[in-house]
Amino acid sequence: MREVPRWKRASGWIDLRGRREGGLAFLLMRLTGIGLVIYLFLHLYVLRLLAQGPEAWDAFIAMAKSPLFLALDGLLILGILYHALNGVRVTLLGLGIGVPHQARLFWGVMALTLLMTAIAAYAIFTIAG
Amino acid sequence: MPTWQLRLLRGRPGSSPRLETYRVELPAEAYLIDAVEKIWAEQDRSLLFRHACHHASCGACGVRVNGRERLMCITPLREFSPDGVIQVEPLRHFPWLGDLLVDVSPMMRRMAEVGFAIIRRDELTADRPLPEGIEQITRFEDCIECGLCLSACPVMAADEAYLGPATLAAIERMLAEPRGGDTARLLTLADDPHGAWRCHSAMECTAVCPSNVDPASAIGRLRRRLIVEKLRRWIGGGR
Amino acid sequence: MWIWQAFTGLLLLILLTLHMVFNHFVVEGGLRTYRDVVAYLSHPVVFTWEILFLVVVTAHALMGVRAILLDLGIGPGTDRWLKRGLTLVGLGIIGYGVWLSWWIRSRGA
Repeated sequence: MREVPRWKRASGWIDLRGRREGGLAFLLMRLTGIGLVIYLFLHLYVLRLLAQGPEAWDAFIAMAKSPLFLALDGLLILGILYHALNGVRVTLLGLGIGVPHQARLFWGVMALTLLMTAIAAYAIFTIAG
Repeated sequence: MPTWQLRLLRGRPGSSPRLETYRVELPAEAYLIDAVEKIWAEQDRSLLFRHACHHASCGACGVRVNGRERLMCITPLREFSPDGVIQVEPLRHFPWLGDLLVDVSPMMRRMAEVGFAIIRRDELTADRPLPEGIEQITRFEDCIECGLCLSACPVMAADEAYLGPATLAAIERMLAEPRGGDTARLLTLADDPHGAWRCHSAMECTAVCPSNVDPASAIGRLRRRLIVEKLRRWIGGGR
Repeated sequence: MWIWQAFTGLLLLILLTLHMVFNHFVVEGGLRTYRDVVAYLSHPVVFTWEILFLVVVTAHALMGVRAILLDLGIGPGTDRWLKRGLTLVGLGIIGYGVWLSWWIRSRGA
């Protein structure tokens, strides 16, 4: 009997071959989750500038209004919205609610994520522009 | 008669598996199991695969067809084009025994551990007189223990200790209809980091299940039971 | 653990919305200057919910990290240490956040 190598087991959840909406939703949930954790650390680290006084912080704020930063903000919002909306979907499904509609719910989450990201992106560029 | 191209995973433990292509002539009304049996009969008698009933009630012929978990006996060839290739691989997350064959005993052991019986005395006709010559009417559970759900589950990929969709669904079935069984033991089994809480709701078990067991919903109902149980204990001032 | 992840997740729907709206969407230019941050955090209600947000988001994030690490095939022994380690990290993050917010708030006094 051949043992499955440890690295292969560990990466099994990434394998999308043969998977459908539910598997894709799960993978995206993980990836956005990892991204958001990294962002949380970065965010808290950047906030230390506040302890260094007005000059340090206000210089950062000026830089954060560059188009590149604002585009990254859009990406962040995309990640947050997907994670949040799919989080609601997964909470319901995890309690056995709406399982027969899970695929449709996934596409609903995707549509709502994209729509709300578009609105947020518009808002970001008008507020900061 | 159309010729079908099948790409089967071949090999034995201890050597790297390889994909080999076979051509087989069969009418479009035939099923994938017919094609694999024909390859075994006419081209290579060393081909390992499992089969028994040919009508989706034994759960023996589960494989991955073009990456997706299916029972070969209810996968019609007409679904595919003779120009394309039908790739057949063994189920994932089971010990591999060679070719299309896996060792399903880890799943069977777990099903036995929870005491799941796929054949039960039928309670609907219990109070009715039995027809002559019939000693007892039995009823089959939906789950045919084919293991497709375990192969499709991404958590199963990562966690050997996970009870898995089939077992959790079995626990839920038995809690729904305990017939004097030990429900406390079943609840304890399910209320574990590697039990009902481990599921990440990827919903793939229900998507591949050939027998309408719907393990994903069952896991959800199991969680609701566990939550109610916890609240009851908490309000009751228990541990 | 699933229950807590779901519960903190649902709390975050509210707390993160508040955080985003009040820090970015109702602010002129979308980002607060130093003086505005100090003024903002001086409000006791704002201070309380931002700290609550910090605690809940940290818990949710680290429970998520554990769920992913568990899928790398971590056994019960390693998991025990992992839980202790992540708790320490969480307390560290919350401590840092509370200290920082308190310090900023004190600039306004």
